[in-house]
Amino acid sequence: MDEANDKRTGPAHGWKPSRREVFGVGGALLLTGGVLTGLRQWKRHERGLRADVVIAKAPGYDADLVSLVGDGVKELGIDRREVRGKRILLKPNLVEASTGRTHVNTDPAVILAAIEVFRRLDAREVIVAEAQGHRRDSLLVLDESGMGRALEEADAAFFDLNHDEFVGVNNAGHWTSLGSLYLPKTALDVDWVVSVPKLKTHHWAGVTCAMKNLFGVMPGIVYGWPKNILHHQGIDNSILDINATVKPALTIVDGIVGMEGDGPIMGSAKRAKCVIMGRNLTAVDATAVRVMGLNPYGVGYLTGASGELGPIHERNITQRGEPIEAVRTHFNVLDLPHLRSIVSAWLARKEPSRPVSERALRRGRRH
Amino acid sequence: MACIALAAHGVEPQRFENGLAWLSNVRRPDGSVPVSSAVSSPAWPTGLAVLAWVCGRERVGPRHEPDIEKAAHWLLATRGCRLPPTDEVGHDTTLQGWPWVEGTHSWAEPTAYAILALRAVGQAAHPRVREGVRLLLDRTLPSGGWNYGNTRVFDSTLRPFVATTGIVLSALAGERSAAPIDASIAYLTPALRDVRSPLSVGWGFIGLTAWNSRPNDARSRLARCAVRTRNEQPNTLYDTLLLLAAVESCPLVRVTTGDPHG
Repeated sequence: MDEANDKRTGPAHGWKPSRREVFGVGGALLLTGGVLTGLRQWKRHERGLRADVVIAKAPGYDADLVSLVGDGVKELGIDRREVRGKRILLKPNLVEASTGRTHVNTDPAVILAAIEVFRRLDAREVIVAEAQGHRRDSLLVLDESGMGRALEEADAAFFDLNHDEFVGVNNAGHWTSLGSLYLPKTALDVDWVVSVPKLKTHHWAGVTCAMKNLFGVMPGIVYGWPKNILHHQGIDNSILDINATVKPALTIVDGIVGMEGDGPIMGSAKRAKCVIMGRNLTAVDATAVRVMGLNPYGVGYLTGASGELGPIHERNITQRGEPIEAVRTHFNVLDLPHLRSIVSAWLARKEPSRPVSERALRRGRRH
Repeated sequence: MACIALAAHGVEPQRFENGLAWLSNVRRPDGSVPVSSAVSSPAWPTGLAVLAWVCGRERVGPRHEPDIEKAAHWLLATRGCRLPPTDEVGHDTTLQGWPWVEGTHSWAEPTAYAILALRAVGQAAHPRVREGVRLLLDRTLPSGGWNYGNTRVFDSTLRPFVATTGIVLSALAGERSAAPIDASIAYLTPALRDVRSPLSVGWGFIGLTAWNSRPNDARSRLARCAVRTRNEQPNTLYDTLLLLAAVESCPLVRVTTGDPHG
């Protein structure tokens, strides 16, 4: 019998593979399995992505924030050589006019500190820009938040990104089905975009911090008030696409007074007394969520970003400055089905109710 | 908006005819006027373009009638997408109105612009306009006034905005007085005293003027706001709104009011 013909008829017709074939197929399967396992491990290990995050304690807005932010930036390895000559756009969270409600927007003191730090590092220009999601009236928001007066005193220019000239650019993320994103020319003309958010809960996304803050780069003139196209595409997906496309260089989080409950606007003030900084916004947000006593694996855009835009696993994030446990403050979240996954009972139990002892810190670090 | 303001202040036609012609050039074959000649969407400025062409009609003649007709047709064909009824938000998500961006949900400001434009072309009684009016009334905040177009999210009642309240009151001019409108005027009159930004000041006075509730010191307050704007934030849109608000019979209202039922 012709062996070759037998092989073509297949095993149902009495074909018996040779030792070489058995080992060949087996080897291929093992190799494929090994590769797949390796890929899974690689993904589990967030594709080798690692990042540094700095946490600094800040008791209030009257603290020496220039030194605090300056030290944090230095800890991240950012120096004069890197900053000199750069045009830097600071993107605060100026979501709403807020007379008497300082927990709604990024505090002007944090923005002023960042301006001063970058000027001292010889930045060519530091500007502040925002595209509010609900309000078309930027001047009103600047008036009522106190940001307008602060920027005037610092002689820093503010740009209304909602009404800026806009440019279509390729969507570098593709989590949404949007082929292009329209970005303000001002944001494209700078060297660095620095997200300077407020640490807040968010009734749709769970948490709003460094990454979600970049929603406020998208011009309302194209996306509307609210930016409904992005909502229709999914808030998490849109956050990922915007971050992949804008490629922010740094974030400085105002966690001195944040917001809990019905954020990002109607919630209550919550003092976390810290500033969190880092070059990788995904890692900073994961750390910020841990600082809030919440579960980063329950935040949709963070699990989407994990291994793609940055790390969220604690083992892949090097915490500098204060440990998380030293500033962890439990933030209340609305009791809604879509938010339950970000409330971690384990983390809540770890919340320090008094100043943290060394023993408690050591116990926390074991986890 | 600049064309409307210039026409309202009796500026010679050739000064704003270029603006009207530019709008005609930007207009797409389907009648829509997008935010920029570089894109086909969004086209929420279409309502404002209709108002500009209508306001310019008596000064430059009927040359923009085809623009008006096509743009009005596009407005009537464009609607916000319905969302399933939900307890998460306070408004009736099945009312369609007009969206900022085609294919998305409806909001207060674009709905107001569309209503103003369709009234200006004699379509006040059209079912789409009547539905738009119902939408605006549905989205009035419990304490009066409007924000971007939502009254409640989960358990929190939201706050009104001065500028949007002025815009919506302008769009409702000509409607029969109703409790939500009275409450909104009652909110806006004192709230307007606390703001200095030209966008809010301009629209606030336009809205109050539309309902014969213009404060006596409107002109001096507008002048103060204009000086501040000139010194601190020169901007064509701000100048335009303050100029429009300075006219005691606001042209937006003059060309759009009438019997809402035809």
